Amino acid sequence: MGDKMDEKKRGGYEIGAILHEMREEYWQGLSAVEESQGEQLECVSFLLGGELFAFETTSAAEVIRIPRLVKVPRVQELIVGVFNLRGEITAAIDIRPLLGLPSPPITASGRIIVVKGDKFKTGLLVESVRGVESFSLEGFEPVVQSLSGTQREFIRGQIRLEEQLVVLLDVVKLMKAPEILVEQQ
Amino acid sequence: MTKKSKYLDIFCREADEHLASLQQGLLALEREPANAELIHELLRNAHTLKGSAQMLGFADISAIGHRMEDLLKDVEGGKRQVSAPVIDLLLKGNDAITRMMRALTECQESPVNIEQFVAAFDRGEFTGGEFKESQASNEVGIGETVRAKVTTLDSLVNLVGELIINQRRFENRSASLKRLCTGTGNLSQAHELQAFSRGLEEDVLYQGFLIQELHGKAMALRMLPLKTITEEFRRMVRDLAREQGKEAELVVTGENIELDRVLLENLKPMLLHMLRNSIDHGLESAEERLMRGKPAQGTIRIAARYDGNSVRVDVRDDGRGIDPLQLKQTALQRGVIDKEEADLLRDDEALYLILRPGFSTSDEVTDLSGRGVGMDVVKNNIEQVKGTLALASEVGQYTEITLHLPLTLSVIEALLLVSAGQSFAVPLNYVQETMKIRGDELASVGGKEVITVRGVTTPLVSLATMLGLPEKKRFQQGGKIALVILKFRGHCLACSVDENIGSSEIVVKGLGMQLKSVAFISGATILGDGEPALILNVPDLFASAEGAATGKFRQAFEESLAVISRGKVLVVDDSITTRTMERSILLSHGYEVEIAISGEDALEKVAGRRFDLVISDIEMPGINGFELTKRLRGLEEYRDVPIMIVSSLSRDEDKRKAMEAGAQAYIIKGSFEQGALLDTVESLIG
Repeated sequence: MGDKMDEKKRGGYEIGAILHEMREEYWQGLSAVEESQGEQLECVSFLLGGELFAFETTSAAEVIRIPRLVKVPRVQELIVGVFNLRGEITAAIDIRPLLGLPSPPITASGRIIVVKGDKFKTGLLVESVRGVESFSLEGFEPVVQSLSGTQREFIRGQIRLEEQLVVLLDVVKLMKAPEILVEQQ
Repeated sequence: MTKKSKYLDIFCREADEHLASLQQGLLALEREPANAELIHELLRNAHTLKGSAQMLGFADISAIGHRMEDLLKDVEGGKRQVSAPVIDLLLKGNDAITRMMRALTECQESPVNIEQFVAAFDRGEFTGGEFKESQASNEVGIGETVRAKVTTLDSLVNLVGELIINQRRFENRSASLKRLCTGTGNLSQAHELQAFSRGLEEDVLYQGFLIQELHGKAMALRMLPLKTITEEFRRMVRDLAREQGKEAELVVTGENIELDRVLLENLKPMLLHMLRNSIDHGLESAEERLMRGKPAQGTIRIAARYDGNSVRVDVRDDGRGIDPLQLKQTALQRGVIDKEEADLLRDDEALYLILRPGFSTSDEVTDLSGRGVGMDVVKNNIEQVKGTLALASEVGQYTEITLHLPLTLSVIEALLLVSAGQSFAVPLNYVQETMKIRGDELASVGGKEVITVRGVTTPLVSLATMLGLPEKKRFQQGGKIALVILKFRGHCLACSVDENIGSSEIVVKGLGMQLKSVAFISGATILGDGEPALILNVPDLFASAEGAATGKFRQAFEESLAVISRGKVLVVDDSITTRTMERSILLSHGYEVEIAISGEDALEKVAGRRFDLVISDIEMPGINGFELTKRLRGLEEYRDVPIMIVSSLSRDEDKRKAMEAGAQAYIIKGSFEQGALLDTVESLIG
């Protein structure tokens, strides 16, 4: 899946185009297997704090390479900086501390996933993007008991795959969280 | 509104409808000349138009309508056939009325020479003199304007901005292709490539011009000067005042301030209401004014200017002012407030009672404005654009309403500067000047550092420290500090910055809904390279500068003085780029640097002067670096001075030759950006 993610020169690509490709592949796969494997969830999957995360592609606008981020004075650490998204000033956020995750340094494979909310778009800093994948909801499990309050707030649960777990991020809730807003006096 | 103007409004709407159906109907009639129903409908349109115009006293419009009606009657009665010339004639009449209506709504003179027009209409042919020249040339025809959504315009502007950035990339690619071409071995291919490269370069250049122009046009789409709405006010003020037997003049300043068209659309009804209020309630009659020792003619001023991150519009009349006591009483009578509240209200607070819904102070509610209703509208509109409204008045002297409108998208002049390694913009109206000072020009007062700006002691703070950002560099070449002197409400504040870049026109953008309000920052702009730059909120800076931590410049300056004596270095290189780079790296790290442009020059410079280190290139006109090293070693006082070779030659043989000649170190050009130069210098002389 990862090699599907070759970005174009501009450093971004159309989720729509990739989705289309994915769907084609998915339908082809289905016709081969004949029978569907139950309800599917189309997600963009990525690494955050070394763990595999995902959220629905309906909330994702695009994936871009990390541009130079302009620091905003005296705001919460989560707001890493702002960047120019085709003429709109957009914030980049690092939600790993919010989710209680370790923060390994963001390297060249780091990306920004632009997330669409009701009122604004924000750039989610991730360690790398794995791709757009369809997950079967049959393997879905609710959030584990050991997670803390804030973690539970933004994590919906996990999907068991054969080889690993995918944590489902609740971006809709995240986009409404006061933690990512700046409203100073 | 007066009765007349109220009817005018209705008439305009009615006329628009009739003119539109005449236009459509006439074109349809040309296709189906025998359609009696259609002819009758057209006749009815022309008749109604004529009648309404007559009622309101628009004789000219009525005259043309009358001619059209007559002609249509002839057609209906079979006296004339529907033909192209007849349709043309009727369309001409329709056009003339359309133009006159537009002139009417814009309070302009009629664009039609009525006698000539009527004569031409009767004759059946037009000479061109029927329309006034100036009007015809000034007017923008309906076909020349389109309505567009502001969001569409916004994204257009954003996309053009992106286009500019992408253009830069093209330019860079074209430049690197050009460089690659010169290094190609195969001759025939090289020629082709070079031709291609030249062609590409030209295309990219031309596209650059086009994009630049496109950008200008796209920007202009969003912005309009204030005068687009104020121009018609002058006449309106004069006429409305006359109707009340008053004399008034409107003075507008700042008419050229460009505002987002959305803001202008919001501002227009606000200003209209305020002007009406001023004429209706504010200004006294000429006799009353003369009695009070005022000029007979009252003055209403609209003054617009940029004020920080907003546009400020003052509307001030020199009328009777607002009496807070009377206001309170009226408010009590109307049940807007109770006794308790009335007692608590200060005079300046009482003024704001006029903003409450359903409040009116005029004993007689005139046609001109029901004050309460009007001010209510103003308040609602200003809240819609997230602006503020302030009232000030002195009884017998003036009433002033101050609007602060936010800049959602405005172009301002700003100073661009670098602090903490990041670009920032400061609106130019807050900038007094920029300057560079030496460390020894610093003084301190009560432990706080100050400098003297034009004879005034001014506090000095570090911009980066105030913003809570890491300080990147404090001293420029020669140990100077770059400063921007900010001004606000008569006070000055000196802020140290990395560098002042210069002033530029910038487009103010909001930070969006995620960063709703950020301390110290009022917005952002996008620079030519596509990077965002934050716009500083100067009032915030002033507020926090009170009691701000001392910048510790003096201490740093003293430390830097100590550092400056780290050593004297002679840089020998025939390339100005290399020289300058080496020099600035060394200078910024506290070394003293002398430049020599050739081996011979170096030998002259070392005579009688002791350098702690010599850095030399190898390939230079005249004697080369190896030779220079050898000769220096031959000099008594340079036998043990470290010599360092910086060269683009990377063969081991060259390194060996350098060492044999007596050099201590050898680094390859290009690697010194990564700190190799400094590391090596430090390892040699500390």
